[in-house]
Amino acid sequence: MTDVSTVVAAGAINASKIYGKDDSEVRALDDVTVNFVLGQFTAIMGPSGSGKSTLMHCLAGLDALTSGRVLIGDTDLAQLDDKQLTSLRREKIGFIFQAYNLIPTLSALENITLPMDLGGVKPDQEWLDTVIDKMNLRNRLSHRPSELSGGQQQRVAVARALASRPQIIFADEPTGNLDSKTGAEILAFMKHAVTDLHQTIVMVTHDPVAAAYADRVIFLADGKVVDEIENPTSELVLDRMKRLGS
Amino acid sequence: MTSPVVRLTLRGVLARKFRILLTILAVVSGVAFVSGAFILTDSVKGAINNLFVELRGDVDLEVRSTIAFGDAARAERDPVPISMMKDIAALDGVRLVEANLLRQATIIKPDGEPLKTSGPAFGISWNGPDGLDGRTLLEGVIPTKAGEVAIDKASAKRAGYVLGDTVVIVGPIGKGEFTLVGLTGTGSTSGGGGASVCAFDPITANEFLGADNKADSIYIGVTPSAASSAVQKAIEKVLPSGYEVITGEQSAKETAGAINEIIDVFGKVLLGFAAISLFVSAFLIFNTFAIIVSQRLRELALLRAVGASTRQIHQMIIGEGLVVGIVATGLGLLGGLGVAKGITALFNAAGAAFPAADLMISSRTILLSVVIGIGVTLAAAIVPAIRAGRIPPVAAMRPELGFSALQRSKRLVVGIVTLFSGITLFSVGLFVQPGGTVGTLGGSAIGAVLLFLGVASLSTTVAAPASRAISRILPFPLRPMTNSVPGRLASRNAQRTPRRTASTASALMVGLALVSMVSVVAASVKKSFTDQLKASVTADFFVTNLSFQGLPVAFGERLAELPELGSVSPFRATRALINGEEKQIGAVKPEMGDLVDIDIQKGSIDSLVDGNILLHTDPARDLNVGIGDTVDVTWQNGTTSTLTVGAIYADSTVAGNWLIGLDTLAEVSSAPPVDFFIGAKIADGVSIEDARTAVDKVAADFPSAEVQDQAEFQKSQEDQLNQLLAIVYGLLIFAIFIAVLGIANTMALSVFERTHEFGLLRAVGMSRRHLKRSVRWEAIIVSVFGATLGIVVGIPLGIAVSIALPDSFVTATVIPLSTIVTILIASIVVGIFAAIFPARRAAKLDVLDAIATH
Ligand SMILES: Nc1ncnc2c1ncn2[C@@H]1O[C@H](COP(=O)(O)OP(=O)(O)OP(=O)(O)O)[C@@H](O)[C@H]1O
Ligand SMILES: [Mg+2]
Repeated sequence: MTDVSTVVAAGAINASKIYGKDDSEVRALDDVTVNFVLGQFTAIMGPSGSGKSTLMHCLAGLDALTSGRVLIGDTDLAQLDDKQLTSLRREKIGFIFQAYNLIPTLSALENITLPMDLGGVKPDQEWLDTVIDKMNLRNRLSHRPSELSGGQQQRVAVARALASRPQIIFADEPTGNLDSKTGAEILAFMKHAVTDLHQTIVMVTHDPVAAAYADRVIFLADGKVVDEIENPTSELVLDRMKRLGS
Repeated sequence: MTSPVVRLTLRGVLARKFRILLTILAVVSGVAFVSGAFILTDSVKGAINNLFVELRGDVDLEVRSTIAFGDAARAERDPVPISMMKDIAALDGVRLVEANLLRQATIIKPDGEPLKTSGPAFGISWNGPDGLDGRTLLEGVIPTKAGEVAIDKASAKRAGYVLGDTVVIVGPIGKGEFTLVGLTGTGSTSGGGGASVCAFDPITANEFLGADNKADSIYIGVTPSAASSAVQKAIEKVLPSGYEVITGEQSAKETAGAINEIIDVFGKVLLGFAAISLFVSAFLIFNTFAIIVSQRLRELALLRAVGASTRQIHQMIIGEGLVVGIVATGLGLLGGLGVAKGITALFNAAGAAFPAADLMISSRTILLSVVIGIGVTLAAAIVPAIRAGRIPPVAAMRPELGFSALQRSKRLVVGIVTLFSGITLFSVGLFVQPGGTVGTLGGSAIGAVLLFLGVASLSTTVAAPASRAISRILPFPLRPMTNSVPGRLASRNAQRTPRRTASTASALMVGLALVSMVSVVAASVKKSFTDQLKASVTADFFVTNLSFQGLPVAFGERLAELPELGSVSPFRATRALINGEEKQIGAVKPEMGDLVDIDIQKGSIDSLVDGNILLHTDPARDLNVGIGDTVDVTWQNGTTSTLTVGAIYADSTVAGNWLIGLDTLAEVSSAPPVDFFIGAKIADGVSIEDARTAVDKVAADFPSAEVQDQAEFQKSQEDQLNQLLAIVYGLLIFAIFIAVLGIANTMALSVFERTHEFGLLRAVGMSRRHLKRSVRWEAIIVSVFGATLGIVVGIPLGIAVSIALPDSFVTATVIPLSTIVTILIASIVVGIFAAIFPARRAAKLDVLDAIATH
């Protein structure tokens, strides 16, 4: 398995996350082992409360596991202190949330370069231009988030995630707040980032149509990985969801 | 703008400029107070130093009697015989020799009333503008013979006299009529620095001022060609023992130094109040930053998620504090000029005579203001910054996780520890008094600060139940607040953020606790004074001089001759060295025994003559002496006496610790005597009205005297205390004002935070009026909570201080209920006031906009 196409960008090994204690114990992740391959677009699906967001937060170093390991490249997150984790997030990981993605006091461009500014790294201008043009944000760069539409705001968030060329991007329902047309645009951009720009993206979604943009879909239920589809179509996903739901 | 932290910081401040505005205002007031205190003392000191340099004029050398101990400027020196001037004038290099003579002299206005001055009323010996002192002749001619006087132009104008008028002046030994021949000035001014000055030629001055051919000192001018130091040495040679010659500079420095000390004390008191204001503004800053941090929770978490380090978050919040601190300090320094002017006006209105001075901002003032202003802001921003750094990146998606991180703290433990160390330190400072005054003040001040912080921290625990209780009780005669929707909402909101409610209320607590404390102490002092007066003072009349110059002794002598009066005794004071320590000694007649009950334990009051001394039980114990034993005393002029203990007494309230007879004082000191007060008892069988008429008739010749019966005396003492209280309350108003700003600020921030919620309430049908009312009620709950905390903390503090004050001063402890009720009612008003702006803001919200905002 030394094929370039199957180098692991990130992964969880026997990951468990337990919230609360004793009676009120919630097992949000239950012994999850999963790998995300470099250059792949992975969708995570599952019913509400199945642990999708929890998995993503733990993978991204935003939250700590109760037991098990998370690897970004070959770095074990458990070995890192807060400082190292911070710079890992800044350099190796990109984020796109469902909402509240942008700092309201910064312009679109400043938001895009924020992780690099924070790290004191000069952005690669050529790459930045490419990303900005791909996201079609050229004439919105000096606008504040409040002056942008929801779709534009999400595009800025995608651009920010791409701008620092992270090893992996995590997106939690990035199109959840958008209408289907704007959502489709964002998804197309993300897809494009994977195929043309060789990004690795992991995305949580409830929408079979969104999942169909991915190369692979992982299904979670009750904190466990229960199924997986390669090269999904929306029909295939919908069908699988129905079966899991029953 | 390269660093993202700097950029985020500046943008953060700009985006929240209105929310930060009140915070800046709070710091501005604190810094203005501090710098104002410095500017004021510097300016007044500068003016006084100038005045003394000008007054010194051309005096190169001065001859005066020596003292055995004590402060050079405040010493009572024996006068210098003017016969000595001849010998000095004969020396080489001496150009001019003058007698320096300065005594009490009051100008009577054309309507017969004495001219009131904000400073002392002087009569002096004057040799004209060509003489040595700094007095100038502005109009007319110099007085050269008996019956002529020159008056300072400012006083003449106020009294309504012009050149050629006949002026009645009352000197230490009697009244005189003079023709006004000249108007004088001091240096560059036309006045006497708040004093009135009557200048006579030297011979007239000697007679009219009762100097008996003696001067206070001798002024010497040196010929331009002679070296002053050589002349000084030559004079030293001819001086008999007991006299010294000093330079004019030293003399001016000593006099100005004594006054500067008083101004420094005054400045320190002002700084103390400034510190209180700053302490309160620290609460406001802390609160604002804490609220802003929680309002920006998501933003801060997002920054963490995209790679900002904890340090960068700290830098951001502290940086915002820095911006606030810098802006506020700059404005505060400007405000300090206003404060200096305002305080001068306030105190001049209360009777203090500050010389008119150019305001001076020294580099020390600027440096300290910057350090204090920025320091306080940063100190207050530290905790919110640390909390902000604790916000986990997940909070970007799950804000509730962020809130729990913000709220995590060991508040209860820290609060209890702080409170108890505060109480301990306060009590140790107050009762053990380590290290004298500094230890007492320092210990109890730091103790009080810790105590306030401890209470502030613990009050979070009681904020919710207390808010509930207040909202149930408050509109007591009407229906309880909780019966209406706005009232219920207000109460719930106050309970919802107990930490915020508590720290907002705590700022008000500090000011009101101090007010409660002071009111307890003041009430106790008043009560003790009245009790004391009733219990031990049996005199029917008291004569005092309100300008602190003392009374001419002739007044007491004439009162003693009145058949309508029985016992009359003046009270004089002098200093002496006993057992190596400087002591204040009272000198009275044995008749004092009929006027004040000093509670004699052994011996008799009649022993108060002939080289005897009476002691309070404390010094008697310390010196281990009894009746008939002797005490060695060195007087200020160097004379020594061995006095015999004639009696030992237990009540030192009026008499002090040491008493001698007037005859003993006259034997050992030739300093011109003045009476501090005179007590008199009505003779048997004489009616109070007749006695009063007789006393008033004598008093008419002594315009500076104030005759009072027991009730008037008590009232005038209480008036003085009330005046002092008014000043203390006036200075505390600053701190309370800042606390009110704090309530307004918190309410405004809360309204902002609840924009969405208010929109929803309006959408479902709440009226603007109800919305306003709800905001107002909440502010009232917070301020009543703060007032209650203040009273609960302040009264025990006041009781502790009353107990700690010496028994000679406070014997009773009184809790003034009226003040407490006033504070509570005032706090409701304060709440309404603080809510004006936030309530209006809440009511103005557009429903659609409010719902659209996240
Ligand atoms: N901080 C927490 N404390 C306690 N339980 C939690 C916490 N966060 C998540 N959970 C629980 O863990 C489980 C998984 O939550 P998670 O947010 O990962 O679900 P999800 O799959 O993302 O759901 P959704 O599709 O609704 O976003 C849920 O049962 C949730 O209630
Ligand atoms: Mg989720």
